[in-house]
Amino acid sequence: MSRPAQAAFTRLEEIAGGASVVTDGAEIAVREVCGVRPAVVVRPANAAQIAEILRFAAAEKLAVIPTGGCTKLGIGSPPARYDIALDLSRMNRVLAFDPHDLTLGVEPGVRIEDLLRTLAEEKQFLPLAVPFSDRATIGGIVAANSSSPLRHAYGAVRDFCLGMEFVTGDGSQAKSGGRVVKNVTGYDLHKLLIGSLGTLAVITRVNFRTFPMPQAQGTFVASFSSAEAAFDFCRAVSHSVLTPQMVEVANPGTAALIFSGEFSARVEPRTWSVVLSAAGQPAVVARHARELGHLAGAADAEEFLPLTEAEADSVLAQIREFPKLMIERAPSAAIFRISAVPGVMATLLEKLRVLAAQSELDFVSLARASGIFYAAFLPQKEFSETTPSLLGIIAEVYRACGQPEMQASAMLEWCPTDLKTSAEVVWGPARPDFELMRRVKHSFDPQNVLAPGRFAGGI
Amino acid sequence: MQPQLIRELEALLGPKAVLSAPEDLMLYEYDGSVELGSPRCIVFPTSARDVAGIVRLANRYETPIVGRGAGTGLSGGAIARNGGMVVTFSRMNRILEIDAANLRAVVQPGVVNLDLSRAVEHLGLYFAPDPSSQKSCTIGGNVSENSGGPHTLAYGVTANHVTGLELVLPDGELVRIGGKNIETSGYDLCGLLVGSEGTLALVTEITVRLMRKPEAVKTLLAVYETLDDTTESVVEITVRAITPAACEMLDGFTLRAVEDYVHAGFPKDCAAVLLIEVEGLTEAVEAQAAEIIEVCRQHRAREVRAARNDQERNLLWRGRKEAFGAMGRISPMYYVQDGVIPRTRLPETLRRIEEISRKYDLQIGNIFHAGDGNLHPLILFDERDRAQFARVVAAGGEIMRHCVEVGGALTGEHGIGMEKNELMPLIFTPEDLALMERVRAAFNPAGRLNPGKVLPMGKACGEIRVPPMPASATIPT
Repeated sequence: MSRPAQAAFTRLEEIAGGASVVTDGAEIAVREVCGVRPAVVVRPANAAQIAEILRFAAAEKLAVIPTGGCTKLGIGSPPARYDIALDLSRMNRVLAFDPHDLTLGVEPGVRIEDLLRTLAEEKQFLPLAVPFSDRATIGGIVAANSSSPLRHAYGAVRDFCLGMEFVTGDGSQAKSGGRVVKNVTGYDLHKLLIGSLGTLAVITRVNFRTFPMPQAQGTFVASFSSAEAAFDFCRAVSHSVLTPQMVEVANPGTAALIFSGEFSARVEPRTWSVVLSAAGQPAVVARHARELGHLAGAADAEEFLPLTEAEADSVLAQIREFPKLMIERAPSAAIFRISAVPGVMATLLEKLRVLAAQSELDFVSLARASGIFYAAFLPQKEFSETTPSLLGIIAEVYRACGQPEMQASAMLEWCPTDLKTSAEVVWGPARPDFELMRRVKHSFDPQNVLAPGRFAGGI
Repeated sequence: MQPQLIRELEALLGPKAVLSAPEDLMLYEYDGSVELGSPRCIVFPTSARDVAGIVRLANRYETPIVGRGAGTGLSGGAIARNGGMVVTFSRMNRILEIDAANLRAVVQPGVVNLDLSRAVEHLGLYFAPDPSSQKSCTIGGNVSENSGGPHTLAYGVTANHVTGLELVLPDGELVRIGGKNIETSGYDLCGLLVGSEGTLALVTEITVRLMRKPEAVKTLLAVYETLDDTTESVVEITVRAITPAACEMLDGFTLRAVEDYVHAGFPKDCAAVLLIEVEGLTEAVEAQAAEIIEVCRQHRAREVRAARNDQERNLLWRGRKEAFGAMGRISPMYYVQDGVIPRTRLPETLRRIEEISRKYDLQIGNIFHAGDGNLHPLILFDERDRAQFARVVAAGGEIMRHCVEVGGALTGEHGIGMEKNELMPLIFTPEDLALMERVRAAFNPAGRLNPGKVLPMGKACGEIRVPPMPASATIPT
């Protein structure tokens, strides 16, 4: 280590304690972000230490990226600089859980799996059925705005997060929102941190409202011969009085992936499958079973199956883990996260499928009727041969989403780093609101300490 | 104000779209709060382009700009505190698109909240945020204040129902953020803008979510002999994790005023009532209603009755929504607060408000969103009695401090505005506020947009503002 680097190391040790500053190769490697590795990993114990580290980094012109379970560091553009990985795993306490008030305050390093277990003891939960659930932490889930199928009924983090505490790039310890379920006191700055990939501030506490666990639950699969039929069924459901918790549309490729094991024998994986769950009083679930079946029949479903509990657990886990499964199966896949209104989903998916077919790529998709879908392009051949066609397709996908009749917003959530040749590849063409985002970034992180270059618009 | 600016505004918008005569300006000096401020001119744009032109002119003349919807706000958000120009959106009141298939509507900011729900009623849809002023307040105003209403308990506040905005920035630039899609890549600018009280940009178009009307609705009225039994019932409903669509509390004092005015059939001899609504599938509604009735009976409700039909239901809700109006009949003025507390702290908080009422010798009515802990103590007073008004302000401050002490917030749905901006340090540190200042400056660097709102100016730190002379009551209906 060079002399200035050694000095930095010493200073970080002073702030966080000797054992909390690590340069071990494996620890560094796991915190690599799009091919860029930090020089050091620091494990702060609290917000005050984070503030000091960030002030030090700003003074030394070092770049910092906060990390949790290290499951989603691949999202975003490659950072322009990256010196310090801020590992928040020591900050893993549940600070306040008031089951009677249905509110919760946690540190960022709490793993979602552990948190859900704690909440379950009081028959409560957070509607965060998100990928990498064995390792993902609250901080990472919030910073990546991980998509949950339960958004359909419960909303996203922006809807049930009550407030946050955080440290901005200049080392200010700040907060917004609060701990009560209704609050318009001051600017909702915490909403900016959701999905910000650590580019604005380091989250040190998140307050949520919690939800009571439903008494009963039922999961159903309806299969259809075409995308149109599947989405017609979804429309019929959304225009009915029924209140499903999630409505997921899997294309044939995805169906093959999520209906694994013994269960696959029961579902024809070449069809479009709609997976729905209903929850509440047993009578409510029974009614959903009945009426969803009728609606499926009216939409020419090939099959409508209620799942056993074991089957439901397996299918819901596969749906939850969809991006992870895709990455494991095809490390060179390009996986878009696209938000579009339900009315254009079938058309848009068909456009994307045709694009894939023209370039001899496989195409799989999982659409949430709430308005978000994953669209994955998978090379059939070796990666190097398909890079040019993938780059072409990526541009086409953004073009298709940008059509006035589509009004869809896309980002390339997962792809090999080699493909990330520009910010446009990951975030799509420049938009007029990027300038506003740059100004927001500057107000949080004037010296560009936090994850420089990782975000939209070159932020 | 420079006559030259008036002439230029008239040239831009036409003479009928600019008011500057003193008698016209007086109508825009107040809103639903007890605040006052005199604008120098009022302009009525009809398009985003008009708004952009107005903003550029205001910049050239270095004039403050304040956006205004219907003026029903309760924290002085639409008041021209530093003079300048009020941009009134009443002529931008068109519903631009109803996209029933995708459960969206695109509206201009001047569309009245209830008008949107009425326009989509035949499709079985509605717009969920339902502030008590929904017959007159505008969706632009709702966006600015992040308004709530009784049914936000189940469906969330305005921020949960806005997916896209068209903005005119303080430099006159027109930008779109979000859209019909439920999320847009990049920072959640819509999340920041909704509730920013007109201090970051002027909103010229709004894309909102529409909701499907539930199959069944059951409205319950639980009548109590003591306040404690009432509040304990609310706590128990929360503890049992029953999720009604609305859970409103009216104390006996308020109830008597309301009943004399609306004749909704509220009992006049009780300590308080809960007005509880459950919605959803018939099966869910029946089960939840049964459980709520059980909770109320356990807490000694002397009566729990259900509205038998829509007419009875509407009458009960009319009683709730016109309660502020009813207060206007028995008191020359009232000061309404908006503090929030953790729901489990409701019983002690209501007792505290009673103590404060006695301590300052003031009549305080309580009518509020009990289910989410959003209090609306109404402190009655006579504006001619300055000594009494000083007690009102002190009592208000004490209630607010209590909310903060138990872990609550200054405002649940009315906004900070110019009423509570000096109280912000009770909740936020100088670092928190400095960051909010920087974010405001990122959008509104010259501070020309709605100056003197939301953030403290540091003149009277920690105090509710004492207005020079309260305006006569404008009563939200």
